[in-house]
Amino acid sequence: MTALVAGLTVLVLVMAVLVAGLLRSHASILRRLHTLDGGEQESSAVSAAPAIRTFPGVPQPLGDPVPGAPAHDLVGRGLTEESVVIRTTGVPHNTVIAFLTSGCSTCQNFWQAFADPVDIRLPGGTRLVIVTKGLDAESPSALLPLAPDWAEVVMSTKAWTDFRVPGSPYVVAVDGPSGRVKGEGTGMSWEQVARLLAQATGDLSYLSDTSGRSVKPVGDAERESRVDHDLLAAGIMPGDPSLYPGVEARS
Amino acid sequence: MTTTLDGHGISIDLPAAWEGRLGVRRSPADTFDRETGVRPRSLAGALDRVAPAGNQGWSGERAQPLVHLANFPLPVDRGDFGSGAVDVMGSGGILVALIEYGAESAGTALFAEQGLPQPLPGQFDPNTLQRRISGQYGYQRFVTVAGRPFCVYIVIGSAAGLGPRTAQAREVLAGTRIESR
Repeated sequence: MTALVAGLTVLVLVMAVLVAGLLRSHASILRRLHTLDGGEQESSAVSAAPAIRTFPGVPQPLGDPVPGAPAHDLVGRGLTEESVVIRTTGVPHNTVIAFLTSGCSTCQNFWQAFADPVDIRLPGGTRLVIVTKGLDAESPSALLPLAPDWAEVVMSTKAWTDFRVPGSPYVVAVDGPSGRVKGEGTGMSWEQVARLLAQATGDLSYLSDTSGRSVKPVGDAERESRVDHDLLAAGIMPGDPSLYPGVEARS
Repeated sequence: MTTTLDGHGISIDLPAAWEGRLGVRRSPADTFDRETGVRPRSLAGALDRVAPAGNQGWSGERAQPLVHLANFPLPVDRGDFGSGAVDVMGSGGILVALIEYGAESAGTALFAEQGLPQPLPGQFDPNTLQRRISGQYGYQRFVTVAGRPFCVYIVIGSAAGLGPRTAQAREVLAGTRIESR
């Protein structure tokens, strides 16, 4: 009898261990499925990103930008030594922030585009602010010839950190009333970035007339080409008075 | 959220949605020949083309700190008394300008009032504006703070809500600290 009880006890213990193991395995599977479904990341050391160590004096890499992340006001200095505070959050207007440097070659495309604001299209009530790094990494004398006279230029390394700017050029669109980032990205030119912003915000006002024009259907293009060919063959050049009979009659 | 703007011995706690610029105008020495006091023709021409309003002084002038605070986006091109900014501010706009004068003016009759003022709605008047713009009200006082002479110039966008907007301007002035030089 005693042997039977002892045997049953051992059997129950073994079964309990097996059940506990199965439950633990099941919980682990559920956690992983939750993560795959886009659930919150585990905070355990196992799932955390590996720590990156840099040489002394080399800054730690920034985390990836987060769309919809809270934006930050811009605090820094201007190119002529003034202190500057520019609000981007909790305000009725929106702000497009262009993070540029004086040295990067791609940034030169942006500086040149901003120098001639004719092709810069912004939605109504949207302000463009150019943010460079602070005096620790930039020189006002190098920036002054580049800076447009119609847009604010702020030197602020903190803003680069606040917005987790991965490199330059980089453009961030901030929704003023909500105080959140509503679009961000980079490109080789302002035109490219304007398309990105238009897609991210759904606002076509970023697109200039030229970039926003519709493509002519193939049939229309062919017909136009054929008409041009026939007119040229008949000796009728562009601007020929016979093409504008109404104008001739009025004059 | 309060953000602090500081420099040149001036520190200002800006309330939420207020922004500011605090600096010194470009040195007039850049504009005038130090010895002759004459403005070089070529330089003058260049400055006339590119310099924002307020960046040109007079021969011998010592540039003093200038502060612009507003509850609307300040444009790049602004005059000392807010020209350029008041033109684009809406009816709900408030502009506060602190313009420092030379130390020789401290304590003179014009700057006899001590400390930053706390304006009242009834003290705003369209006739106080540097340049009258329809609907706008102005306020101007000359004061000495910590031995430094200042002009306090405020523009409010419209009579509607004059009381609450004056209270906002008072809050900004109450959060302004000026140290002696």
